[in-house]
Amino acid sequence: MGRPLVYKSPMPGLGLSMGITFTMLSIVVLLPIGALLLQGVNYGAEGVWATVNRERVWKALYLSFRLSFYAALFNLIFGVILAWVLARYRFPGHRILDAAVDLPFALPTAVAGIALTALYAPNGFFGASWTKTIAPALNAGLEYPEAALNALIMGLGFEPWTLQVPPRIAYSTLGIFIALVFVGLPFVARTVQPVIHEIEREVEEASATLGASRFHTLRRVIWPMLLPAALTGFALSLARAVGEYGSVIFIAGNKPLVTEIAPLLIVIQLEEFSYDGAAAIGIAMLVISFAMLLVINLIQVWSRRRIGYV
Amino acid sequence: MSDLSHSSPAAPAARFRSPTDEAPLARWLLIAFVTVALAVLVFAPLIAVFVEALSKGWEAAWKSLISREALPAIKLTLTVAAIAVPLNAAFGIAAAWFITKFDFRGKAFLITLIDLPFSVSPVVAGLCIVLLFGANTAIGSWLVGNGFPIVFALPGIVLATVFVTFPFVARELIPVMIEQGRAEEEAALTLGASGWRTFLTVTLPNIRWALLYGVLLSNARAMGEFGAVAVVSGRRESATTMPLKIEMFYNEYQAAAAFSMAGLLAFLALLTLLLKTWLENRHAGELSANRRGH
Repeated sequence: MGRPLVYKSPMPGLGLSMGITFTMLSIVVLLPIGALLLQGVNYGAEGVWATVNRERVWKALYLSFRLSFYAALFNLIFGVILAWVLARYRFPGHRILDAAVDLPFALPTAVAGIALTALYAPNGFFGASWTKTIAPALNAGLEYPEAALNALIMGLGFEPWTLQVPPRIAYSTLGIFIALVFVGLPFVARTVQPVIHEIEREVEEASATLGASRFHTLRRVIWPMLLPAALTGFALSLARAVGEYGSVIFIAGNKPLVTEIAPLLIVIQLEEFSYDGAAAIGIAMLVISFAMLLVINLIQVWSRRRIGYV
Repeated sequence: MSDLSHSSPAAPAARFRSPTDEAPLARWLLIAFVTVALAVLVFAPLIAVFVEALSKGWEAAWKSLISREALPAIKLTLTVAAIAVPLNAAFGIAAAWFITKFDFRGKAFLITLIDLPFSVSPVVAGLCIVLLFGANTAIGSWLVGNGFPIVFALPGIVLATVFVTFPFVARELIPVMIEQGRAEEEAALTLGASGWRTFLTVTLPNIRWALLYGVLLSNARAMGEFGAVAVVSGRRESATTMPLKIEMFYNEYQAAAAFSMAGLLAFLALLTLLLKTWLENRHAGELSANRRGH
């Protein structure tokens, strides 16, 4: 009657390996996540909504997801270029660069956080030149385009928009962006690189034989093959950035409504012993994250089906 | 390897460009761009850590590491890693054995559940543990009553660390064990070896490098975890790990002490990378890293 739950096998250790797997999965992952959901259920939908539906929470969620998206997008483009250069070209220093890509995985986030802050603070190595020369020059150059754009936007009846860059990198959204780029850097490169290694040269040769330019081959032959893996890397990078806490809190300045990220709000709620509030924001983050991952998964299925394998 | 054709510096190559290569100018521009970008994004922060850590000299950095404030944090981090990493390795081996040696329904779902911690924010992970084992919950208050507090103490930190490193070993082992199949174990069993003997003498030698690789990644993350541990430690002095101590020093304007500890962790990270690169070069065939993608 029907298929068995576990098929018979001569292999030993079914009970032991299954027991360890399910026990640890339950204690470490399932029960704690269940406790979070239960807290949310007990608090009630209205309670959760009342907690989330405040300006400070919305602003933090918007900031977290918006900057994470930008950072993952940057990593998507840069990661594909990086993977291509590391997989296809041989040059002095290749091995050092290849190893360096993994540094953000190995370096603790708190270390990355204080290091980036030291570099990008207004008196830091990069921060000083930004504050003294780059930002003023950029803002001066952007004055006219901004005026022109705003004349158009306000003519259409919208609020004016600002193109001005912040005068500081650390303690502004730019700093958060840089920290999120750092922690998500390896994902796209590391998922795309093996795929590039597996591309058979014959495919490119065939494309060249048929008269395609190199650029055309890269765009129409190579890129579709890389896209599913690149999207996987993008999703991983995005998930990592949304949840990132350690590196961001040092460089963000953590000003409410301006540079306060969603995970920090959870920590603040917990410090005030507001478990319901913390659970509500945690659940909101989980829901938005999973919705985003689902969308990315669907895009991935679509792009795989389009090029016709796996 | 198929890239012999374009990496050989033979003389005619100067005139004949393979149709599967980019123009030399484009290639050098890309290499220059990637080098500069990695220098700014990755190397600069690393150098900054060491420069700041040694700004007052080796001796001062060393003294701040063996100070009464710093030493307990180093000890706690080592203790946590020494408990969490073996737990993770045991789970990874058991899960990989269960998933690759048996056929059962819901295998894909189980793998998704094992991967779940990767898509949960570490702060949310810490929150989940506080909500399950905190002193205000049924389980938590019972445990505290019996003298075994979890949250704000070592067990909670271990639990949070195991959560964030949960998939590392299993993910590394599963592809390798799928590729190796079951034939060797079946042969050993047919010849009369016991289950444990089969595992220790047949399976383990086949997966040892992949296991080491997973343990290495898991250890690096375990020693460096910040968000999840920050939540469960509740900023108690007795439950402060190295990354948390960095934050405390930093917020107390003891930048030099913060950076010395950061330098120590960065040094460990470099060591991890070195070992990882060595494993990838020497034992590439026995790792799953090079088979991903499909």
